[in-house]
Amino acid sequence: MRKAIRIQKEDFSLEEEVNALRQASQRIGGVTTFLGCARDFSEGRDVFSIHFEQYAGMAEKAMQALADEAQAKFDVMDIRMVHRVTTVHAGDQIVLIVVGAEHRKSAFEACEWLIDSLKQRVPIWKKELTPTGESWVTSHP
Amino acid sequence: MGLIQMIKILFFGIVADKLGKRSTDVQAGQTIAALIDKVGCADIQPLLVAVNQEQTHDMDYVLQDGDEVALMPLFSGG
Repeated sequence: MRKAIRIQKEDFSLEEEVNALRQASQRIGGVTTFLGCARDFSEGRDVFSIHFEQYAGMAEKAMQALADEAQAKFDVMDIRMVHRVTTVHAGDQIVLIVVGAEHRKSAFEACEWLIDSLKQRVPIWKKELTPTGESWVTSHP
Repeated sequence: MGLIQMIKILFFGIVADKLGKRSTDVQAGQTIAALIDKVGCADIQPLLVAVNQEQTHDMDYVLQDGDEVALMPLFSGG
């Protein structure tokens, strides 16, 4: 089975990740997912593609630290996080977070906390290619 | 006289673009604040700093032989 917390260039399968998580325990009663995808429009202009850059090593460690923190903070049973670092186009998958818990409330809360925290604490950057050139994204919408 | 100890500094995102390079080497024994001035990215705000892949806010930390330092813009993954 692939690592639960990882950064990779290639695409991922939501179904495979959910199934992998569900195999962790039959006590899981609720699974929440967050799937981040590339948009073709941002900040009032078209976006042709998005290029991702990471601080290799630190980025995956920071994601693992978030998963560990979420395990301690919320009543959840298992977490999977996958982030792509490559060039993506509109509609492509970028990031996936899957959380399994006994009950839905903690699964929802942990999933939202994880994606919010990932944007603030994991050293990954995106650069958008637009009709007026390239620009680094600096906000956390 | 001992060997001069050098430290690798990594740049990411808009910091790398502004400096026109992705890394440089500096001497150990200087603070992070001095390093930021020296490499010319003091005007990039906010500027995030990591030492040995851990984020730090201690600008008075004195760089040690073997440290790996990263100067980074705000993160924007996800």
